[in-house]
Amino acid sequence: MITCEEFFAEFGDYLENQVSEDIRREMELHLSQCRTCTVLYDSSCKTVRLVTDSCSFELPQPVSDAVVDRIMERLRSDRHDTK
Amino acid sequence: MPGYERGNEGATIAAASSPTATPFGYTQLVGIRTERRGRVSTSDKIKFESPIDSLSTFQNALGFLPALVRAQALLPRLMEAQASLEGATRLRDGSLTRSQKERILLAIASDRRDLYAVAEHCAVLSVLSEPDTRIDALVVNSGDTALPEPDLVALRFCRKLARAPHAVCREDIVSLRAMGLSDGAILETAVTAALAIYRGTISKALHVEPEFPLRPAVRVLCCLPQNGGQIAQDAGRRSHSEKGPYLPSPFLSPESFAPFAKLYQTHGFIPNFFRSQALRPDLLEAEIETVRKILQPEDILTRVQKEAILLAVSAANLNSYCVAVHSNMLRGMGVAAEEGDQIAVDHHLSALSEADKALVDCAIKLGARHAEFSPRDVDELRKWNFTEEQILESIAVVALNNFSNFLQMGLGFEPDFEVPAAFQQAILKPFVPSGTPMAGDPAISTLVTAIADPDAELVAQAQAGDLDAFERLVRRNTQSVFRALVAILGDTDEVQDVMQEVFLSAFKHIARFEGRSKMSTWLASIARNAAFQRIRKQKDTESLDSADSDEDGDFRPRQVRAWQDDPEQSYSKAQVRKLVEKGILQLSPRYRTILMLRDIEQLSTDEVARRLGISVPTVKTRLFRGRLMLREWLSPYFSKGPGGAPYNDHV
Repeated sequence: MITCEEFFAEFGDYLENQVSEDIRREMELHLSQCRTCTVLYDSSCKTVRLVTDSCSFELPQPVSDAVVDRIMERLRSDRHDTK
Repeated sequence: MPGYERGNEGATIAAASSPTATPFGYTQLVGIRTERRGRVSTSDKIKFESPIDSLSTFQNALGFLPALVRAQALLPRLMEAQASLEGATRLRDGSLTRSQKERILLAIASDRRDLYAVAEHCAVLSVLSEPDTRIDALVVNSGDTALPEPDLVALRFCRKLARAPHAVCREDIVSLRAMGLSDGAILETAVTAALAIYRGTISKALHVEPEFPLRPAVRVLCCLPQNGGQIAQDAGRRSHSEKGPYLPSPFLSPESFAPFAKLYQTHGFIPNFFRSQALRPDLLEAEIETVRKILQPEDILTRVQKEAILLAVSAANLNSYCVAVHSNMLRGMGVAAEEGDQIAVDHHLSALSEADKALVDCAIKLGARHAEFSPRDVDELRKWNFTEEQILESIAVVALNNFSNFLQMGLGFEPDFEVPAAFQQAILKPFVPSGTPMAGDPAISTLVTAIADPDAELVAQAQAGDLDAFERLVRRNTQSVFRALVAILGDTDEVQDVMQEVFLSAFKHIARFEGRSKMSTWLASIARNAAFQRIRKQKDTESLDSADSDEDGDFRPRQVRAWQDDPEQSYSKAQVRKLVEKGILQLSPRYRTILMLRDIEQLSTDEVARRLGISVPTVKTRLFRGRLMLREWLSPYFSKGPGGAPYNDHV
C-alpha cells in the first residue's frame, strides 16, 4: 500500500479527479486504511463544496448602487462640461 | 553550439560598416531617394516618425539602406516595420552569426529567383568575408559549399521550409538538434527563413531592381528551372500524427515578461505564435513592433480589409493556425463568423465589395502563387481606384502574413482558437476560387453581427455614446468586476475606488471593444489589470508570479480532527458564507486569485492558467495549497467535538 507521503503527493490531482485509474485504486485502498488521510480528504472535499455553494463575494446592493451612481454622475457631468 | 560554424564576424561587421571598406561604392546609395520602383511609385514628401533610430539599423550593419526598404518610402512606417524585423534577426549576431543568416537568405532568394535579393545577399556575404566559391555554390545550390554539416542541415531545413512548408515536421527539428543546434538557434533559423519570405514578397510585388552587380553564377541560376512557388502542391504531405509545437513554449507571465505584457494589453491573451518564440524576447519585441506598424493604423486600409487579406492568403497557403487567428479577429471586428468562413474558403462568394475582392485576389496571388504574380496584378488594383498607399500597404500585409504563415509551419505551433469547420472541410480539397462574384455588393461594414453576448445590444448603444445603455451595462457587471478585484486585492476599502476606475476606463475605451470576448470577460480583464497595477504601485512584495516560497512549499495540514458530517448545520447560511469568505480573504493573493477563479467562477484549470498567464502546473500547485490552507483555517469552526471555535470569536 502507498504511504501517507505518497498519498499526499497525488492528493491535489485526486481532488481534481485527474489521476489514472491505477493511482485512484491505490489511493482509495490507502483511504480505507488511514484515518488521518481520510479526515484530510473528507474535510478538503467539504472545503471545496462550501466555497462553491456558499461563497459569493457580493457587494451589498446599496453599496453597489452607490458606486454605480458615483460613476454615472461623473460621466454625465464630464459630458455636460464638454457640451 | 558545438560544430556549428561561427565565422570571423567581428572583423567583417566592422568592414561592412566602414565607408572606406565597402565594395561597389554602395555608401553612395545611402539616403532616401525618390524614385519610381517597378509599378508602385514612391513620393518625395517623406515624413518619418523617428528617422534616425529605426532606419539606422541598416546603416550601421550594412552601410546602406537597401533599395527594397527605400521602395516603401511612401509609407515610412512600413520601412520602420521592416527595419524592426531585420534589426532583430538578420542585422545582428544572435544564436546564428550574420554570415549564417545571410547564407539562409541567399539560398532562399536563389530558389525563388529573387534577383534583387540574390545580388544584395551576395554583396553582403562578400563583405562578411565569405569565399566567392561558396557564394556561387549557394546561388546555384550545387552542394559544393564546403560548409560544416550542421550549417548544411540548417540550410536544407530552410530551403524545405521555403519551398514545401507543409512537408516540415518534427523530424526536421530533431535532426537540427542532433546537429548540435540549440533551440535558440533553431528558432532563429526558422525566423530567418520566414524573413526571406517577407523580403521576397515585397521585392516581388515592388519589382525592385538589383542594386549590385549580378555574379556570373546568377546568370546560370536564371537558366535553371524554378522549384515551388505554390505552397498548396505540397499540402497533403504533412504528417498529421506529429503535432507541434516543435520547440518548447514556456508559460511566462505577462506580469514578469515584458513582451507578453504588451500582447496581453492588445490581445487579452498570448497567441501561441508569440509563446513559441519566448526564448528570444528581443525578437518578440521586434515582431510586435512590426505587426503594430503594419496592421494597427487605419489611415490607409481598414482593419477589416487587412484581416480579410490575412485570412484569405493564410487560407490559400493552407495554414490552419493563421486561418483560425484571422477568422477570430474578423469576428471581433463585427464580421459574422459565416462571412469569415466564406472569405477563407472562397472570398469571391463573400459579401466583400467587388473592389475588396480584387484586393484579395491580388494578395492571394502574391502570397500563395508568387511565381504567377506580375506587375499587371498591381495595375488591376489601380483600375479599382486603390491609391498607391493602399496598394503598398496591402503588399506589406501580405509580406507579414507570409512571414507568420511560414514561421508557423516551421515551428508547428497549434491554433489558439478553433479552426473554422468550413475551412477544415475545404482544406481536404484543392483550393479553387470560383471566380463567380455574387450579385449585390454590400460593404463589409454592414455585416455587423456581434458574437453571442447577452450584453451585445447594450454595448453597441454604449459605443454610440448612449450613457443610459452604459449605466445598464455597469449595473449588470458590478458583481463580477467586484469579485475579480476582491480576488486580487482582498476585500479592502480601495476595491470600490478601483471599481470606479475600471468602469471609467471601460467607458473611455469602449470604442476599442471589438467583441472578441464577452463584455463581462473584457471588464473582468480590465479589473484584473487595474488590480495588478495597484499591487505594483504599493510595491507589494508578493506578486502573482513570484516564486512560491519554501515556507508555502512545506505547507502541511495540521488540523486532523474529523469535520462534522454536515458543516452547514451549526451556522446560518449567512454565517457560513461570511466564514468562508473571511477564510478566502486571509489567503495571500496568489492562492486567493486561483482558488476564486477555479472554485467560485468555476473556470477550468487551463482557463485559469490562460487568463492569468501562468502555467497549468503552477495553477494546480497553488490551487491545492490554497484549498489546504483554507481547510486549515476553517477546521476549528467545522470540526466535530469540543475545541471548535465559536462563531462569534472570529467573525
